[in-house]
Amino acid sequence: MSATPETPALDLSWLDLFDEPAAVEPSDRGLTLEAIAANGLAAREDAPRDMTPRLRGASARANAHRQGLTYQTKADVWADQCLALYEEAVQRQWSSARDIPWGELEPLPDETERAVCQLATMLAEVEFIAGDVPGQWLPSISGDEFEVGLFLMSQIMDEARHTDVFRKRALANGGGLLAQGAGLGLRNLLDAKDFTEMSVLMHVQAEGFVQSMFRMGELIGPTAADKRIFRMAAQDESRHLAFGVMHLKHVLAETPERREEIHHYLDRAEERSGGGSGDVTFPPVFESLAILLGGGRDHFDEGVAKFLLLRRRQVREYLHRLDVAGLGDRRERLGPALTPFAA
Amino acid sequence: MPADAALLEAARARARALGWDDGLIDRALEHGYGADAIGGALDAKLAGKQASLFLDRPRIPPDLTWMQSPTEWGVRATPADAEHGLTVADIMVGSYGEVPDLWTDRTEIARGSHPAEGTIEDMGYTIFEKAIAWAPSVADLYEEAIRERWAAATDLGWRSLEALPEDIERAICQLMTEQSERAYAQAVVLGRWLPEISYGFVELKLFLGSVIYDLARHAEAFRKRALANGGGLGLQAPTDLVRGAAEARSFPELAAYLFVQDSAMLAFFDEAGALARNQLERDLYALAARDRARLMRYQIERLASYLEAYPDRRVEQHLYLRKAEIRMAREWRDPAVREPLALLLGGGRDGMAQGEAALLAMRRRQVEAYLANLAAAGFERAPRLHSALRAYVEPAAD
Repeated sequence: MSATPETPALDLSWLDLFDEPAAVEPSDRGLTLEAIAANGLAAREDAPRDMTPRLRGASARANAHRQGLTYQTKADVWADQCLALYEEAVQRQWSSARDIPWGELEPLPDETERAVCQLATMLAEVEFIAGDVPGQWLPSISGDEFEVGLFLMSQIMDEARHTDVFRKRALANGGGLLAQGAGLGLRNLLDAKDFTEMSVLMHVQAEGFVQSMFRMGELIGPTAADKRIFRMAAQDESRHLAFGVMHLKHVLAETPERREEIHHYLDRAEERSGGGSGDVTFPPVFESLAILLGGGRDHFDEGVAKFLLLRRRQVREYLHRLDVAGLGDRRERLGPALTPFAA
Repeated sequence: MPADAALLEAARARARALGWDDGLIDRALEHGYGADAIGGALDAKLAGKQASLFLDRPRIPPDLTWMQSPTEWGVRATPADAEHGLTVADIMVGSYGEVPDLWTDRTEIARGSHPAEGTIEDMGYTIFEKAIAWAPSVADLYEEAIRERWAAATDLGWRSLEALPEDIERAICQLMTEQSERAYAQAVVLGRWLPEISYGFVELKLFLGSVIYDLARHAEAFRKRALANGGGLGLQAPTDLVRGAAEARSFPELAAYLFVQDSAMLAFFDEAGALARNQLERDLYALAARDRARLMRYQIERLASYLEAYPDRRVEQHLYLRKAEIRMAREWRDPAVREPLALLLGGGRDGMAQGEAALLAMRRRQVEAYLANLAAAGFERAPRLHSALRAYVEPAAD
């Protein structure tokens, strides 16, 4: 037997929670997260926290469950530009199906097609992991810094698109997926036990290396479609990288005592043969890049010289980003695999 | 001076200017490097150390064994629909489109690529069986999500908002506070499962990425509405339902548990236009409904596939559904959940009695939609529906 649900007496106490009304005006960029973080609703270092799913600014429920451990200090996860970076991500979403001129792909010399497909195979792996890592960290972000969570969610979407676009590239022009990129050092991104450790290794180092490569896409990509893929992906990577640099800057400013700890993460990552995740020295990747940069197998050595230029660019930009974040002394303790390229 | 000698001298001069070791060019020539390699290094302006690393050792010819990786050479993916472009479904060609029932590789290998030799570390995935999480339409749903993307900041008419009666504005803001948290919390729960899914089911992971992003946008948009018109944030959402999702020990448990909320949410947004006080809110609810309809399609297809593959797990699903039903019914009775809806449906505080009646009718339709969604997946739940929800769909006994 059942009965229509009993209607409890009205409570209406929730109506009394809105004591400081203030409307928010949209700007020419629409109504942004920055705009609604005004009026005393910005993230604060000293905000009272409760580990429940409450998002910053809502009134706390007395009986709310804790949802598991979350960071209890803003500095542990924050990046000053994360609100703007999230909004930019939303505005700059693109479609791998429609924004790449797939119809312009033409048959390439076999060795060139294989080299493109090898690179795409490696990147389809790298980007797959790059989507898992932020997902893994979402439960650790307090609702007091929910904008960091939103940014990571936008990154998950970006990485899905990258996984998809590189897989599409491998299969769009008759090449196919080639050799697995084992040894790319991706496990260490999943192994991170601290948000800053993860962000430094993934956003700053791994995505930094990948970004430097994407920005040489005009030289690497043999077709207009390839060049466009690199340009679009670079646009996304630049946001992820910016988040990492700004997060590191915030951490070092608020908790300078963590400097040596952060160096230690980088020491370990740089000890790996090629210098961390996003490594391009793995033979299939290195050789495919040399073929693409040199303009064919017959110009392999010329391609190697350009590859070294890419490597130099990767390392120098890596050091510059760390310098911007406040870790300029990294230059003095750079790992041996990277040192020759720092000059 | 012969031309070659002149060129060599010029190269040496460029090398000196770049700080290369004296004699490096001659040693490079002895090692077997040609003019291409040396000229390329000079053109690249390699510093001394980098040039030595490259040229001051015997030239090792490239290995290039990766070029022999077996591929379906010559199989080209082409768009089935020019308007939609090259979709994920389009690239499921030949063996690349074969999604295995059981994926056995524990590494991050891209499905369809050639496995590397030797031992490769385990990436810690736990989902290797297709029927655990897969749904036939995931590739299409992913592309649809991208085509239907929208931006809360610019696709909603924020400037069109006008002042509302205080009780109405507060009710909207309480509802928005709740919905923002629910969306965010669900995205967090789903995100935690991404690293569990192996590469065999890459298309599924792409789709889940789009769901997480949709939910992020919902969290953002509802929060913006709460803060845009002079109301503000209200009381945090109840935590029973989301806590249960976080407690799930397996993906099937999570999916079954979320099925209840996902059904109710879609039914709610489908008719939330009745709560709207302006075009912005109508648009917001409609966009949320469109996104949630994709998620519901996934849920129905996944459950149907799962039950077909694991008929022995059918009865077990009742446990997870029941748990979610109890918690959802409890949350529906929460004053900060029920009263804002009744107030909006009744047109204001004075009309709450009518609003309560309208809300009961809405709840009934939500429960009916939930049962219909389960039925569409081939799952009969009505006879075992928990009494707390059954009360909404069966008339009161005299």
